[in-house]
Amino acid sequence: MKKVLGLALGILTAIGGFLDIGDLVTNAVVGSRFGLSLAWVVVVGVIGICLFASMSGRVAAVSGRATFEIIRERLGPRAAGANLTASFLINLLTLTAEVGGIALALQLASSVEPRLWIPVAGLAVWLVVWRTKFSIMENVTGLVGLTLVVFAVTVFLLGPDWSTLADQTFHPGVPANEGRDVYWYYAIALFGAAMTPYEVFFFSSGAVEERWSAKDLAQSRLNVLVGFPFGGILSVAIAACAAIVFLPAGIEVSSLSQIVLPVALAGGKLALAVVIVGIVAATFGAALETSLSSGYTLAQFMGWSWGKFRRPARAARFHLTMIVCILVAVGVLMTSVDPIAITEFSVVFSAIALPLTYLPILVIANDPEYMGKHVNGRATNALALVYLVIIVAASVAAIPLMIATGAGS
Amino acid sequence: MILGDLLDARVTDADGRGLGFVVDARFALDGPIDGLLAAPRLHGLLVSPRTATSFLGYERNGVRAPALLARWFRWRHRGTFLVHWSDVRWVADGTVVLRAGYERYSPGLTGTAPQQG
Repeated sequence: MKKVLGLALGILTAIGGFLDIGDLVTNAVVGSRFGLSLAWVVVVGVIGICLFASMSGRVAAVSGRATFEIIRERLGPRAAGANLTASFLINLLTLTAEVGGIALALQLASSVEPRLWIPVAGLAVWLVVWRTKFSIMENVTGLVGLTLVVFAVTVFLLGPDWSTLADQTFHPGVPANEGRDVYWYYAIALFGAAMTPYEVFFFSSGAVEERWSAKDLAQSRLNVLVGFPFGGILSVAIAACAAIVFLPAGIEVSSLSQIVLPVALAGGKLALAVVIVGIVAATFGAALETSLSSGYTLAQFMGWSWGKFRRPARAARFHLTMIVCILVAVGVLMTSVDPIAITEFSVVFSAIALPLTYLPILVIANDPEYMGKHVNGRATNALALVYLVIIVAASVAAIPLMIATGAGS
Repeated sequence: MILGDLLDARVTDADGRGLGFVVDARFALDGPIDGLLAAPRLHGLLVSPRTATSFLGYERNGVRAPALLARWFRWRHRGTFLVHWSDVRWVADGTVVLRAGYERYSPGLTGTAPQQG
């Protein structure tokens, strides 16, 4: 019984923890402009993150080593340093977007200006990172984040024309009023939103935090393989809500209040309250994960002691890194920069940085010295190579497309 | 000297002809007991003729998957050899100079027979 509960908890947390501000914003923007014609990218992204997270989780559980320890060892100090710089900065950008997301969600609930909420959100994130146990932190934000299921309910309540949605999904094409470049730019953004690198830093370091071993592999694989696809369904539901309400009217989503508008239209005040709780939980959870990831990546690269299982005094530099990163995120947001705009950039840069962490993990997952009999099988490697091509292609194409389309505008 | 002085360094033979770059260092754990483990001893350097980028571990014989990546890295680093530390004459200014008559060994971890050519 306890095992079943543990399994259910793991899967539910993976569903709730899948969505963050990047998924919320990108799916809604894409839904309002392209309908469901980019839903296939979510499928590609979810399969990719399942593959990547299960490989990095397996590497961490079997070898006891997290992502950046491995990158440092395999790439040598110089190449790994460049890798760290890129990954760390993009993670900081994502952290900024998530803290901004918390503030925007709290603004929706309270009508208080986001700049008053930003320092509160930053402080709350720090307090939880400093004080709360890893497992409690994970489970609470994941479970509360499940309330975002209301987006899926909304799709049914809105009573859409299902044949139109199905047509957009299964016969995807570039809408008449959008350019081909913009379509592919948003395809990359959506891919980056589903496969953000911090999820992998966090997942593999979390495996070390929770002291996984080879015998926990089956459960961790199930969490990922069941939880993430359900998270992906919620992503598509967000896009569908925007596609139903905004696409026919030709309105482009550019704020959080628009993202939740379909829910309010269909379900009224109660549904709106539920979705705001869900967004706060999702962005707060992701802010915790990105804060921790900033500490994990830097500490693992530098060889500092790290982890929430140590008291802060025993991992002082790890905690100091997180404090500095949260302060930088709060400082950037206090300049009144739009968190939604930061989010849109952060998902594209996530796609750009993805090969930097994907390749080393793929190589180590095949190394019998680390993995023993748990090396990748043939089928996994075949899929992993296909994804290597997709990831590299997305990474290379992202910057030219960003310039050509003026970041999708 | 630290390991960082050696990695990526240019390697030349005694006449100053370029042989490649140091891509890795190999240690043997056969020194006197130091705490729990035997003290490591620098056994030799891996020299790759064309590139200073990482071999990502594919120099070892047992690592062959995923096949396409393994083939690519082996091709990038074709001609990589191991020189014993005793064959290094001196190290200065980012250059490793080997002594005349140095021996090239196979970079594979199992079997260290001298390489052909």
